[in-house]
Amino acid sequence: MSTKLVIALAAAALPLSVSAAPDNYTIDPYHSYVHFEVDHIGGLSRMRGRFDKTAGKFVLDQAAKTGSLEVTVQTSSVTTGDNDKGSRPRSRDEHLRAPDFFNVAEFPTMTFKSTKIVFKGDNPGSIEGDVTLLGVTKPVTLNIERWRCMPHPQSKRDMCGGNATGVVKRSDFGMKFGIPSVGDELALFIEIEGYKD
Amino acid sequence: MQGGVAPFVVGLVVMLLLQSVRLGGLAVVAAFATAVYFVAGFTFSPLTATRKIILLGFAAPVIGIAVDFGFKGTRAGALMLAIFAGAAALWTFWPVLMQREMAQVWLFGGVAAVAVAFMVGFGQMFLADHAVRAGAAGLGAGLGTGIAAILAASATYGLYGIALGAGSGAFLLVQMLRGKPGTAGTTFTLPVMLIPGLVAAGAMILAQLPWYSVLVLALIPVGALLPVPARARVWQQAILLSLYTFVVAGIACYLAWHS
Repeated sequence: MSTKLVIALAAAALPLSVSAAPDNYTIDPYHSYVHFEVDHIGGLSRMRGRFDKTAGKFVLDQAAKTGSLEVTVQTSSVTTGDNDKGSRPRSRDEHLRAPDFFNVAEFPTMTFKSTKIVFKGDNPGSIEGDVTLLGVTKPVTLNIERWRCMPHPQSKRDMCGGNATGVVKRSDFGMKFGIPSVGDELALFIEIEGYKD
Repeated sequence: MQGGVAPFVVGLVVMLLLQSVRLGGLAVVAAFATAVYFVAGFTFSPLTATRKIILLGFAAPVIGIAVDFGFKGTRAGALMLAIFAGAAALWTFWPVLMQREMAQVWLFGGVAAVAVAFMVGFGQMFLADHAVRAGAAGLGAGLGTGIAAILAASATYGLYGIALGAGSGAFLLVQMLRGKPGTAGTTFTLPVMLIPGLVAAGAMILAQLPWYSVLVLALIPVGALLPVPARARVWQQAILLSLYTFVVAGIACYLAWHS
């Protein structure tokens, strides 16, 4: 085999090997949020809230069906829509930031770090990982309800996004205040969009 | 129940059982431990600021017993305890303070250290030998700190404070019913000044209690030193002194409400 042929074959194979490499994505903070739901007054209603500030990154290798996800949430950005204390001493959001719940002064972030992404067909189906909240790390599995990769319609930048859900028990993290009046189970709903780096 | 009735009952039992051996002051720590058991449990990992407060609260009566039975109370001893308390406050909140801007570190760190040191030093110097005054100071400091903490958005700290008030109330009630003062000593005054001081500082640093409210809370034991009629009976002294402390506590709570 001549040297020219080897070079030509290598050059032809190069784009394939590049496209098979893992792709890195940075989470778009303006379109990625962590929402939560919790029982209120022993299940009278299901209260919803969200964290307004989320950042992170994920890696996807579609060919090898592997990847990873890291998300950091600013706990001080928690909101349930009740942030005006009015005639009360404090609002609910202020209470959620206090040591009774998220203790944001001492633990300003909550993180999720994946340990394994399980693919279902060509797309991720679930993400196993660890949630760290209030200094305690516990395993959790996030089920991916939808996942899609495509160029952004306007900017044409490659992006991936989807929705994931999971459940944690807040008492596992030492957040025991108000149980059972305020539910122990915290349902998480995560919407993520990320641009390819 | 968690912060009031159960701690009061446990405190009352401890006071009745141990007052004859000069350890009735343990009533306040027993009440505090009861609230901790119901509210958060005895978990100490990770060692958060709140858990440091609980640890220090449990260590305080041990130090108190050692002081009461091993040393003669002196001004130097009171000063040493005050310095220890101020340092303990900084140790408790330092990891949190280090995440703040320098101006807040000085303000909140300074207020926490000064308030806790003052309460402990004052209690040891002026209240340890006066069980009725010490009980009234504990009642006012506990309830005042507890209510102020609730107004500052921390019900957990609120329950801890109210439990300390309940324990002090039990300590005071037995003296009122017996008609003669009991024994406070460092066993009672150290935890009953240290824990509310730390809880108030925690409500300032971790929740939303204004710093000036913490300083007013620190003055509650001064209210218990105000004069009472010389011939007043123990129950009359207890009520009057408690009312003095409630006035100071009320000012602190008013400031917390309107912050």
